[in-house]
Amino acid sequence: MPPQTPQPNPKRALPNKESGLFRELLHLYESRQLKKAIKTADTILKKFPEHGETLCMKGLVLTHLGRRDEGKDLVKRGIRLDLTSHIVWHVFGLIQKADKDYDGALKSYHQALRFEKDNQNILRDAAHLQTQLRLYDQLLDTRIILLRLRPNLRQNWIALAVAHHLAGDLQAACTVLEQYQRTLKNVPPHDVEHSELLLYHARILEDLGAHSQALDFLDEHARTGAIVDLVALAEARARLLSATGPPDVAEASWRTLLKQNADNVDYYRGLLRVRCLDLGKLSLSILAPTDPAALGLLVELSDEFPRATALRLLVLRAVPASSDRFTALARAHLLTGLHKGIPSLFASTKGLYTDTVKRDTIERLVEGFKDAEDRGEPLDGDVGKRDPDAPTTYLWTLYYLAQHYSALGAHQRALALVVTALQHTPTLPELHTLRGRILKRLGDLAGAADAVDAARRLDGQDRFLNTKSAKYWLRAGDVARAGDVLGLFTKKDAPSPGQDLEDMQSLLYLLESGAAEQRLGRLNLALKRYHAIERVFSDFEDDQYDFHGYSLRRSIINIYLSMIKWANSLRAYPAYVAAALAASEIYIRVHDDPALVKLGSAVSAAEEKKAKKKAKKAAAKAQDAIKQASSANANEDKGLEAQPAKDEDPDGTKLLTDPAPLDRAWRFLAPLRSLKPASEDARAAQALNRAKSLDPENPDLHPCLLHFRRTCTSPSLPPPHGLTSRNCPPLTQLLPSEEEASSEVLNARFLQLHARDARAILSAAKGARVIGAPVEEVEGIAMGALADGVEMDLKTARAILDFLRKLSAPRADEFRKACDTQFALSTLFKTPDELAAFRAEGVPIEDAELIA
Amino acid sequence: MPPTTKDISSRVSFASLTPNNVGTVKKLNSVLFPVKYSDKFYAEILQPDVEDFCRLVYYNDIPVGIICCRIELKGKASDLYLLTMGVLAPYRHLGVGSYMLQQISDSASSHTKSPVQRIYLHVQISNDGAKSFYEKHGFVEVGVDDSYYKKIKPSAAWILEKAISRTKEV
Repeated sequence: MPPQTPQPNPKRALPNKESGLFRELLHLYESRQLKKAIKTADTILKKFPEHGETLCMKGLVLTHLGRRDEGKDLVKRGIRLDLTSHIVWHVFGLIQKADKDYDGALKSYHQALRFEKDNQNILRDAAHLQTQLRLYDQLLDTRIILLRLRPNLRQNWIALAVAHHLAGDLQAACTVLEQYQRTLKNVPPHDVEHSELLLYHARILEDLGAHSQALDFLDEHARTGAIVDLVALAEARARLLSATGPPDVAEASWRTLLKQNADNVDYYRGLLRVRCLDLGKLSLSILAPTDPAALGLLVELSDEFPRATALRLLVLRAVPASSDRFTALARAHLLTGLHKGIPSLFASTKGLYTDTVKRDTIERLVEGFKDAEDRGEPLDGDVGKRDPDAPTTYLWTLYYLAQHYSALGAHQRALALVVTALQHTPTLPELHTLRGRILKRLGDLAGAADAVDAARRLDGQDRFLNTKSAKYWLRAGDVARAGDVLGLFTKKDAPSPGQDLEDMQSLLYLLESGAAEQRLGRLNLALKRYHAIERVFSDFEDDQYDFHGYSLRRSIINIYLSMIKWANSLRAYPAYVAAALAASEIYIRVHDDPALVKLGSAVSAAEEKKAKKKAKKAAAKAQDAIKQASSANANEDKGLEAQPAKDEDPDGTKLLTDPAPLDRAWRFLAPLRSLKPASEDARAAQALNRAKSLDPENPDLHPCLLHFRRTCTSPSLPPPHGLTSRNCPPLTQLLPSEEEASSEVLNARFLQLHARDARAILSAAKGARVIGAPVEEVEGIAMGALADGVEMDLKTARAILDFLRKLSAPRADEFRKACDTQFALSTLFKTPDELAAFRAEGVPIEDAELIA
Repeated sequence: MPPTTKDISSRVSFASLTPNNVGTVKKLNSVLFPVKYSDKFYAEILQPDVEDFCRLVYYNDIPVGIICCRIELKGKASDLYLLTMGVLAPYRHLGVGSYMLQQISDSASSHTKSPVQRIYLHVQISNDGAKSFYEKHGFVEVGVDDSYYKKIKPSAAWILEKAISRTKEV
């Protein structure tokens, strides 16, 4: 539909005096003289109470003054009074945008543009919204209009090129940049923004495959000094020369870069490629070159850059494991680290452990150092040349070995080593945290927390130790203590340490505290934390918005484009995935068993009183702060964005009792799937299909498949929420037909196939439960995890115990006792009495030191 | 070959006591001395006026020793009483203790607020090693306190002291 010619509203025109006042009102708003603006609006409204544009402006100003609801009502009234004014729609769009209603705001801007199609402010705001909403076709149109209106503005050209780029048309982006540069005259020297634009142009040429053109382009502008980012220039040239130039020139360019920074792995990769040694994903974490020529080059370079750690590790990766050379190089690498006392030596070295021969060589070397030190001999075997090795070298050797054995799963040995080290020097925090980590791996969570807390007490200023300690307390289920520890570093005037960390977007805290609450059965509080994580990610998404304007205005193009890319895959960030899975698991459990809701609130009932009191106090505090602020400056601009509203659901009970838990779960998971929304059962089938294609033998998948078959085919079960279709064609893709193999047969087959894998045994037990087998049979399958020859780790053992308890299985305690014997140092399988005895029996580390 | 002073100064460093590192002090005390110190003791060593005389000692950036003194005012001048001094066992005989004592003596010589006349301390009788260590650093025995230690045997202690000469003010 072509835009209708707007009919001028007869009520809009104001007499001269008021019309002047209205212009003044606009000016006052723009210069943020809000009080005066209100007064001016009121003067107009006294005479013309139905003037829509004035009403809208007054509403906008009121919103800025913190009187949000009142302001919004006025704006809506104003629109109704003057539907064809671009001002009223622009104002409405601004307010919707502040409410994060991007779709709505864009609609309002479109409406405004119908009546004032060349208004640049509205066009720009619309472009930002189109970028935020990733509507690139619309964005292109808007950018073209803006450029036509003001072709002399650099940012309009850049913005159009970027729009083409985002829409995927690099060639068009390139053309726009060329046209722009033809219009240029007299660029001032050393113009950073122009330099950034030129680098962007070159990057596009490179991405288009026009390597020599890109190189010429760079060289031409480098000659005139127009490109000022010399590192970026040199990197781009090296890349382009590698693609086009003679090998020796390309090689020289990489070597020049290495002279500037010999720890950049990309430079080594580039150099190796020039020598036709394209070794795939050569990096520190991935497999190394096996080509002897590559090794030769790397060794040659290490003569030139002896201090480059990245290179040293690359060489260690590249050298054949069984060679004497590896032993010599590893020895030198380890000795330097131990002499210098580099705490991260193990972390940087363990990457080599993927090669077990290298791992064993390193173990032999470090054990050798320890033996030599035990005998009082110098480590490098060169007596008299140096001072006797410092006692700290011995300490770091013990520290390395303890980490080494713990990483290999030999936790007892690691523990003995770290205790020896603590007797030697009890004041090194790293030793206490390591002892904590080993105890955690052994399953003694409270002991682990104690150990890490001992490290924290050594240095009250170290926030890393503080956070670690709090995390271990959360893991051990002591939420209150974690809060006290965290409170040492959070803002003193925050309502609680947790609230401050939430405001600071601490994903670590939110995730760990959510998981702790979940383990304690306080599902409401767990949901509260997971929703807070969701909000953090929404905030990240919203935070992009300001950059759509800012980055283009300041020509920060290359980084801006990487930010857009980052934002597009934001929800793949591990913290979001973890929160989404945990939260949806709770919602699904609540859906399956609504009785959980009561349980959750019963647990927290005792604390409710306490929490309420606390909340009241905090609210009063916040109220005071607001009062103080408002009395301080009545004219203060509070901005368009809503102030954080009072939390109506501080303990998450409303979340837990949501009438549609499955919808909630789906909303958490939706950003994770790449599926198109379809009917519920098709969604389930698609998700299962995809899971199966990723990892067909994953034990967790098996009970899901059986569950899905049962819900889809059993007419005796009531249709689950949202499941409408009774025929499930995708089912046949997942499982053989019912006639071919009954669920019972499938389950038995699965169990037989994975008879030595405890995780699979648990899955088979779950599967048996899903298809309605009697408790004794389910229990019998689960107990099979204790059989000889079955590999069972701590986590799986605990999961099986939880499963048996949920089932109210009679033999659950038998299973617990067996695990307590099998995992002797773990506290996960102890009754409270046994735990007390365990604690009394063990010699606490503090006393052990005194004995020594 | 005994380590030279130059080696020592590159490996050993000092830090003032603060409420944040007092946990390390407590840990060292618990390992070094058979006495459990009171909260009053810790409050005292954190006072700003003894900052130069209560120090944590680091060897290769790891805390390994502690030295704590008290200032006793004598009119306008003062005595410095050495409360505790200790180094973790693996770090002894490396010159750390001598270096610590030297630092404290230097601080005492340049202390302007209430000029320090002498440093003195008690050593349990029978601890000949400690006694000769202090004598090597210019301390002399000036008396014996027969019942200095209340809870441990022997209860007698030598009193040792060293006079402090003021550094010339520039």
